[in-house]
Amino acid sequence: MADPPRPPRPGHSPLPLPLQPAQQAARIAEQDEADLVTRAAAGDREAFGTLVERYAGVARRVARAVLGNPEDADDAAQDAMLSALVKLDQYDRRRPFGPWLLRIVANAATDRRRRRTVRRAEPLDPGFVAGGPRPDTTAERRALAERLREALAELPERRRMAVVLFDVEGYSHGEIAEILGIPEGTVRSEVFHARRRLRALLVDWKEDE
Amino acid sequence: MKDPMPFDHRPDPALGDAIRWALDPGDGAEGTAAFVTRVLARAADVPALSWDLVLARWARGGVAAAILVAVAAGYLVGRAGAVAPAPRPTMTDVLLAPPAHPREVEIVLASVIDNQQ
Repeated sequence: MADPPRPPRPGHSPLPLPLQPAQQAARIAEQDEADLVTRAAAGDREAFGTLVERYAGVARRVARAVLGNPEDADDAAQDAMLSALVKLDQYDRRRPFGPWLLRIVANAATDRRRRRTVRRAEPLDPGFVAGGPRPDTTAERRALAERLREALAELPERRRMAVVLFDVEGYSHGEIAEILGIPEGTVRSEVFHARRRLRALLVDWKEDE
Repeated sequence: MKDPMPFDHRPDPALGDAIRWALDPGDGAEGTAAFVTRVLARAADVPALSWDLVLARWARGGVAAAILVAVAAGYLVGRAGAVAPAPRPTMTDVLLAPPAHPREVEIVLASVIDNQQ
């Protein structure tokens, strides 16, 4: 089944004709991004900085979905950004940049998690579950976030990434399949199971409130 | 939040927002700026992809390919040179084979004819 139209995201959008204003904006963003990648590959650090800024949020969230600990996630996301810079000449400009970059991020985070597991043989970092204090949020929001982090921590890694990329970052099943290197049907299944688990936990949480 | 549907292919904004909130580092624009600064500081140590580097990469590939070709050619040549020795000829082969020195045969025949005369 084809995915429905989705809101424009940095770096990619479907391009059916006639273009709506949002789609025109997405196309301009895509062309702009291709230009940024070309310039970054030629050594323009400002262009690379713009790309990093544009994808910092999603890269950090995806890495955190894998690693849990925010500091580890930031390190993995940084490693991935630099790895992408080194490999920019291998990037196929005809394809969207976001999935290509996020695949590198996902791999970097997974590698770091494996190394950490081998090194310390520990469960998910407690920081992932506990989270940090957020004085600017309500107690209810903090409790929900904590509960969600607990729920996410219980999911298998691939399932976590799939639901984050789909429901949080707005990537299509096909793009997530490309990012995670798995069949599209598997992505649908992973998203479905993750949602079922997370929604069940959230329903329990609401009932507890 | 909606009830889970087996083939629900639409993003769930409520669930997405909740997860985003849970995964967000919570450091806002300052955190993002600090992240970008750290990446760019490390990127300064990464050499830009100049023509020299591109040519160097090609050269490395070319050298590797040349070595492979040389090894393959050496293997093939060595294999061709190491042909198994021919089997020893049988008595029949020796008798039926044309003489290496035809003049010897003529001399022998001539002496036999002379003896008969």
